[in-house]
Amino acid sequence: MTAADSPPSNDGHPDDVRADVPEQEPVDRDLGRRRLRAALNSRPTRGQLVAAVLCALLGFAVAVQVRANQDAGLSGLRQTDLVRILDDVTERSARLQAEARELEGTRDKVSGSGTRAALDEAHQRSRTLGILAGTLPATGPGIEFTISDPAGKVTSDVLLDALQELRDAGGEAYEIGQIDGAAVRVVASTYLSDASGSDPRAGIAVDGRVLTSPYRFRVIGEPRTLAAALDIPGGVLDVLRQREAQGIVTQRSELTISSLRPVPEPEYARPAPQKSSN
Amino acid sequence: MIAVIGLLVGIVAGLFLEPSVPAWLQPYLPIAVVAALDAVFGGLRALLDGIFDDKVFVVSFVGNVLVAALIVYLGDQLGVGSQLSTGVVVVLGIRIFSNAAAIRRHLFRA
Repeated sequence: MTAADSPPSNDGHPDDVRADVPEQEPVDRDLGRRRLRAALNSRPTRGQLVAAVLCALLGFAVAVQVRANQDAGLSGLRQTDLVRILDDVTERSARLQAEARELEGTRDKVSGSGTRAALDEAHQRSRTLGILAGTLPATGPGIEFTISDPAGKVTSDVLLDALQELRDAGGEAYEIGQIDGAAVRVVASTYLSDASGSDPRAGIAVDGRVLTSPYRFRVIGEPRTLAAALDIPGGVLDVLRQREAQGIVTQRSELTISSLRPVPEPEYARPAPQKSSN
Repeated sequence: MIAVIGLLVGIVAGLFLEPSVPAWLQPYLPIAVVAALDAVFGGLRALLDGIFDDKVFVVSFVGNVLVAALIVYLGDQLGVGSQLSTGVVVVLGIRIFSNAAAIRRHLFRA
């Protein structure tokens, strides 16, 4: 406490770094400890009080700074650092937003309204195709056309003519059956033939299934158009009359075609990749 | 002795009062703390050398803090604040280490 100067603390002489060499002399032995002890035991003077105040200030500042640093707030940072952090955050946020958009798109694709519409459309399409292919029952207005053939002169070509007339008249779903028996759903690939070569009484095979008179067509379509198509001069009804058969057309506002045909699994054909959705 | 007590009192006060550092002081406080630490270590070494003086300690303490703050301020104005702060901390750290080495030799003769 009595010496005159403390150069190591404040002026950074080169001696500071290599000042240790002379102090290893035995003369200094225990001198430092004695001085320390003396300083600790000494009575406070005014100068010491000032030093103590400064030390208190240092401790206070250390504690405050450590505490503030633990808070790790942004307020203590420089402007350049803040700008850098802001850039980082902005970039990160943009990246995350892009990611979020991507994920939202995926979510919409998986479960969103767009998919639902596509799904509904696909369902609608499948229903339409099911009616056309005869795999779904169909209901709607239409006609029943009954042919009774007591003379046995109605051959398959007559029924085929009748069917073609009804197709031309805009029929949408057909079945051919017996009055009280089984019915066969008529589709694009349906064929009609005489069941046994020359004798019409044996019946008519529709898609290989033999039907006998009286036959009954049930057709969904515009009832009046369908009925008119059969009634044209020289048309189906005239032919039937010529063959001593009787054709009765009944218009119905509501009829249901419930006969179905199995869905054929194509063995060779595969769906070609679609170029555009249609 | 009273200086050690002062240091402890200061730390305790800082911990319990939990004052918030004013914004204008925030860049300077860490450097000022390091500079003051350097002054304290220098003072301790001078004490062990038997050449401690209150006035010199006070002047070196305040001077260190002010110069450190000035350097940081200047660095901020020049746009090299963070680099200059690092430099100041490195220099002061070296001084603290050399002072600590001298103190160690005094106390433990090693």
